[in-house]
Amino acid sequence: MARGLKNLFPGLAYMPGDTAVHRLHPLPKLLLLIIYSTSVIVFSHVVTALALFFVLLVFYGISGLGPGFFLRKLRVILLFGLLIMLIQVISVRQGYLLLEYAVFSSITLRIWSAGAVAGLVMMLRFINIIASSYLFVSTTDPNKLVYALMQAGLPYRYGFALITSLRFIPVFTRELTIIRNAQMAKGIDLEGMSPGKILRAVKYLLTPLVICALNKVDYLAVSMESRAFGLYSGRSYLFKQSVDKKEWLILATGTILLLAGGIFLTHCF
Amino acid sequence: MNNQRQGVTEIDLPVVCVGGVTFKYEGSREPALSDINLRVDKGEFISITGGSGCGKSTLALCLAGFIPHHVGGEMSGSVIVNGMDSRQCPPQKLAGAIGLVQQDPEAQLCTLKVVDEVAFGPENLCLSREEIKDRVEWALGAVGSLHLRDREVYSLSGGEKQRIAIASVLAMKPALIILDEPTANLDPCGTTEVLQVIKKMEADTAVIIIEHRLRQLIPISNRLLVMDKGRIICDGEPGHVYKNYCSRQKYYFDFGYKTGEEESSNQSTTEERHSQANPVLSVRDLTVSCGGKRILEDINFDIHPGQITAVMGCNGSGKTTLLLSLLGINKLERGRIVYRSRDITAEKVSRRARHMGMVFQNPNHQIFENTVYREAALPSIMLFGGESAMNAGINSLLLEFDLLQYKEGIPFSLSLGEKKRLTLVSVLGYNPEMLLLDEPLIGQDYRRADIFWQAVLKHRSAGGMAVIVCHEPDFVRDFCNRILFLENGKLLLDSPVEEGFKLLEELGFKDYLPGSNVIGDLCYGQGS
Repeated sequence: MARGLKNLFPGLAYMPGDTAVHRLHPLPKLLLLIIYSTSVIVFSHVVTALALFFVLLVFYGISGLGPGFFLRKLRVILLFGLLIMLIQVISVRQGYLLLEYAVFSSITLRIWSAGAVAGLVMMLRFINIIASSYLFVSTTDPNKLVYALMQAGLPYRYGFALITSLRFIPVFTRELTIIRNAQMAKGIDLEGMSPGKILRAVKYLLTPLVICALNKVDYLAVSMESRAFGLYSGRSYLFKQSVDKKEWLILATGTILLLAGGIFLTHCF
Repeated sequence: MNNQRQGVTEIDLPVVCVGGVTFKYEGSREPALSDINLRVDKGEFISITGGSGCGKSTLALCLAGFIPHHVGGEMSGSVIVNGMDSRQCPPQKLAGAIGLVQQDPEAQLCTLKVVDEVAFGPENLCLSREEIKDRVEWALGAVGSLHLRDREVYSLSGGEKQRIAIASVLAMKPALIILDEPTANLDPCGTTEVLQVIKKMEADTAVIIIEHRLRQLIPISNRLLVMDKGRIICDGEPGHVYKNYCSRQKYYFDFGYKTGEEESSNQSTTEERHSQANPVLSVRDLTVSCGGKRILEDINFDIHPGQITAVMGCNGSGKTTLLLSLLGINKLERGRIVYRSRDITAEKVSRRARHMGMVFQNPNHQIFENTVYREAALPSIMLFGGESAMNAGINSLLLEFDLLQYKEGIPFSLSLGEKKRLTLVSVLGYNPEMLLLDEPLIGQDYRRADIFWQAVLKHRSAGGMAVIVCHEPDFVRDFCNRILFLENGKLLLDSPVEEGFKLLEELGFKDYLPGSNVIGDLCYGQGS
């Protein structure tokens, strides 16, 4: 069951690559993501939503992730999007009748044009926002992103809070496995996934995990401060994460195309 | 190197000058440090040893400025570091003068990439990009890790992580580097890697190394300090201090001393051979994979009555996985485990655990309950039910392991050594026939290691057996009957101890052999 859940909610992680999308500086890429998401919310026409979905597919293609990745990683998002559409289709009864179908003798399914369009738009907006964020995370090295944000003005204490969190995700995952093994060795049955066992697992795993985490935090604090962390209000960086002219140009072009395209399509249809 | 370091000490001002420091932790009755006076000169190499809880790590925190700034308690006296009074300067300000490398290589690395980790300190000092780059290259070169420059931190081995931790401190160019048990969590290969780095450190950097295992440190140290109950009770030329003090105090377990009872351990090999025909546990073709990666492959061995079996091998060779597979926590891809003529391959963990009690490496992973007594009794209750029947037994074990006074106390407030004893008590409480001990000696001084030895010997004399993952060849030689040596998930050898060490020597695993007495060479050879 655990494996089933894992497959349903696949891990969101950076997938190294050397495509144009991967190589783009994290800051313009983040700004483009924000502008894209804003466009998804602002332009509510179905044609615009479809166009934005098409743009997204193109970028998935450029980044080498392909439709396989889209279907595999976003399966649950697609299913959720379909559910949103279904609710809209059933609940909105405006426009002209597209379809009438007797499911049972007493229940008749009617699909109205406004309901179908509203459902499609809602589904596309939902998918566009989630899938674009997935694309960003999958093609952006989190380390580079945080260093870029710090060099752009994010206080370095917040930046390193994020970096150390990322650093300790695999450590705590491993610790949790060891703790689970240690509790099982004491005769505590944690195999399987019944609700009772899940509750028991939380009870027996959480306390040792918190204690281990606190120990590591103590070590980490000593390690960082003994290397002058926090001595000055600023710090220097070995790698300069500067955005070059070409990348600014990509950002500007992308922004103009998204906004102009959105306005054009909204007015045309 | 020794002479180089000694030559420098006499002409320079001290790097650190500690004057009458006493420190008491908040809520503690006894001081952790008492009237400490210490001078460390440029280029000196000082080894500090002593029993667990004697104040070694507290002294390190004091020198690095974390006491009095971050650790709660009362401090008197002064610590002057490169002319700066630690009471006036926070640790960050002392960072350029003192570097601290801690025991756990995993917890002290804070970035995702090796190059970022080594650059972290110089970046905090706001140095120029060129200077940072030079320092990173130099520090990585100094620890022989230039090839690791672009690696992800999580992908490094324990020894590599500790080398990077040392490099990240060296990049600060400190006048004094303090290493607090830097090899405690490493296998013999990793230990050798780290010690080679320490030996090659530049002669003008003073080094303080806190260690229980002194064998490889004595020849390269200028001074050996022994601490006890918060005081420096001995400070002098290493060979002399060891000869006149340490050997009598038996602080260390890597010099191979034997008690009468331990002698009987090896004698029992003969006895064991008589019982070869009737193994208690038989493992056949044991193969385990995890996440598509083969961890153990075609492992075959038997365990006979009264046998203490050592499992040795490098970190990642599959030792812990082997113990977990015996207990049923790791499922077998193929193979069979037979216990007392019964195939237990498909048996649940809770059923197997009645016969096999496992003590994990880090007691914090096992401890859960809110009183020491409940923690000690938990496995007995879980596995057999009914608390009253074992009440007397648990109490007598707590008494035997010097834990009865904490019976109603919170387990998490115990020291690491006490927690380790508690996890052993919780297993001995239900008297499983077979003990599975995963690196029980890590971070333990001689006295605490002795408690484990005696418990294992007593268990054997009562008819029990033990399988122990262990990195201490001297311990294996003195207490075990058999060696299983794993390499990359395969059983390289399964032999009686003496024969096993001969084979390991032939195979070139020199780090895994019981050591020659280096101190003897130093005291009676070149040193005297």
